[in-house]
Amino acid sequence: MHKAVTLVVTGLTAAVLGMLSLAGLAAATTATEEEAVSKAEELVEKAKQANEPDPYTPAIYGSR
Amino acid sequence: MVRDRLLLYGVAAVVTAIVLAPLAAPGYVLRYDMVFVPRQPLTWDLVAPAQGLPRAVPMDAVVSVLTQLVPGWVVQRIALGGAVLLAAVGAGRLVPTERAGVRLLAAVGYAWTPYLAERLLIGQWGLLVCYAALPWLVRAVLELRAGRAGAVARVLLAAAPAAITPTGGLIAFGVVSLLAPRRGRWRGSTVAVVGVALLNAPWVTAALVTDAGGTSDPAGVAAFAARGENWAGPLAALAGTGGIWSAQATPASRGLPLVPLVTLVLLALAAAGFGLLRRRTSPDVSARLLVLAGVGFLLAALGTAPGAADVLRWAVAQLPGAGLLRDGQKFLAPYALLLVVCVALGAERLVTRVERMNREVAGVVLGGALLLPVAAMPDLAFGGAGRLWPVSYPADWQVVAGRLAADPGGEVLALPLSGYRAYPWNDGRTVLDPAPRYLPATVLVDDTLRVGDVAVTGENPRLREIRHLLGAGRPAAETGVRWVLVQRHRVDQVDPATLTGLEPVHQGAFLALYRNPAVPPSPVLAAPARWVVVVALAIAVVVVIAALFRRYAGVLLRGNLRSEVQTLEDWHA
Repeated sequence: MHKAVTLVVTGLTAAVLGMLSLAGLAAATTATEEEAVSKAEELVEKAKQANEPDPYTPAIYGSR
Repeated sequence: MVRDRLLLYGVAAVVTAIVLAPLAAPGYVLRYDMVFVPRQPLTWDLVAPAQGLPRAVPMDAVVSVLTQLVPGWVVQRIALGGAVLLAAVGAGRLVPTERAGVRLLAAVGYAWTPYLAERLLIGQWGLLVCYAALPWLVRAVLELRAGRAGAVARVLLAAAPAAITPTGGLIAFGVVSLLAPRRGRWRGSTVAVVGVALLNAPWVTAALVTDAGGTSDPAGVAAFAARGENWAGPLAALAGTGGIWSAQATPASRGLPLVPLVTLVLLALAAAGFGLLRRRTSPDVSARLLVLAGVGFLLAALGTAPGAADVLRWAVAQLPGAGLLRDGQKFLAPYALLLVVCVALGAERLVTRVERMNREVAGVVLGGALLLPVAAMPDLAFGGAGRLWPVSYPADWQVVAGRLAADPGGEVLALPLSGYRAYPWNDGRTVLDPAPRYLPATVLVDDTLRVGDVAVTGENPRLREIRHLLGAGRPAAETGVRWVLVQRHRVDQVDPATLTGLEPVHQGAFLALYRNPAVPPSPVLAAPARWVVVVALAIAVVVVIAALFRRYAGVLLRGNLRSEVQTLEDWHA
């Protein structure tokens, strides 16, 4: 009984922590800095082709 | 005891290494407000800005002095590494407990908060220094309240690094003036409060003598208000110590729907731990810590509450210095510290209860609580999942700095007009223009902050005049600057007509320097008001030296390193 409780609690703790960290890592890898930069470059390129001003000029401090 | 302390330092070192791993590569991490350069000149504009607000006073002066001795990349690593390491150790040592595991929990928890992650990712390392100093400061103030010998010196030595930025200085002043006073022990607390006030003197005097006024654009209140990171909104984000205004400085994991539940678990543990804190310190101390954390939380939440935001907008536009409150999330540091300490004590209560039934399960629960902050925000590891990465400055920067050093005098105008740049050599990461810190001259960089599609106007009157002239299509030569630096990180950004009448001095791949022949070199004359800032700096340095002397002179004079306990015993004998 004692061992079983230990195993169950350990398993649950590992599952919760594992789930949280996997979800966090998945979120981080789907919103990487590189992706943001390449997106920004795409926008700049599009603006150039459309003869519009560079949307990232001057560089913005950030967005909400 | 020694083993426990070594374990604490060891765990703190591991956490620091995990968070800052990319800094093992050579170069400079340049991201948002984090700018380090190889050798920062000690210019008047860095010591006492004449036309801007003193947001980096005395931090810039300290870095300028340090980089005369060691390269900027070393200073950057010491500052960041020291901040994370000492934050962890400080929190671990602050918790009133006998259990090593609980101390480790506090250490890991305080070094892995969303607050630390977000301020690191926006590059505000000066604020992180304050965050790291905070647990040491609280501990020193508690010693002062307890009447320990040398506690005033400890308070001042812990407050000094915090006061390298105005926000940090204010937080330190708030901590000392709220926690230190105790009936019957006025002398020590008065000396400590006055001492910390003197440590704040450099930025206060710089704010008084600058031509920038002191009021700010109220548009900044909405732009820099705390931001909701997921479905639970900004207050829940603040409750979890996150909620910075910038989406780019927020770890992606903070957007997960489960995060508010993790915050709820932490708050429940903290509520359970507060009772233990009350018993182990005193009702008075715990109540004051609660007030301190509550004030920090309220300041952080000010910009999000409709009525309060209106008042803040009015204050920022009308009251000099109120602009400090517009990015209120900065003031969450005392809340973060109390939360972490109470969570650790709450975990101790839980573990003690579980231990009576099953020791192994208790160990698993403690380990789980220790790893919870890491599991909930794994993307702080490895420099925020690779967001902090060192790069090298192109050789152009050194060449331009050399040209300006060889022909000193006159202002440098940085074009295109923008305070922040996204250089290709920095992988497109946005960073505050390094020119004012790299170049040995007064560099005029636009101080308008663009947050999304909102432009928050800066305070510098000289820049306002230049923006107006260039906006009217006048050439840069008419602005009265002697040099124009064109940063060619994106092509075709500067209208050739703007450069009419200027002589090219250097044409590099990334930088072009032009001289304005209409403006002769002029020596930098320091207005007497700027000397007042130097005097304030000197007073702050004297306070630190006096505290160092008081703290360590006895040890040095006796020629041995007796333990603090022995020193205290001698004092009481």
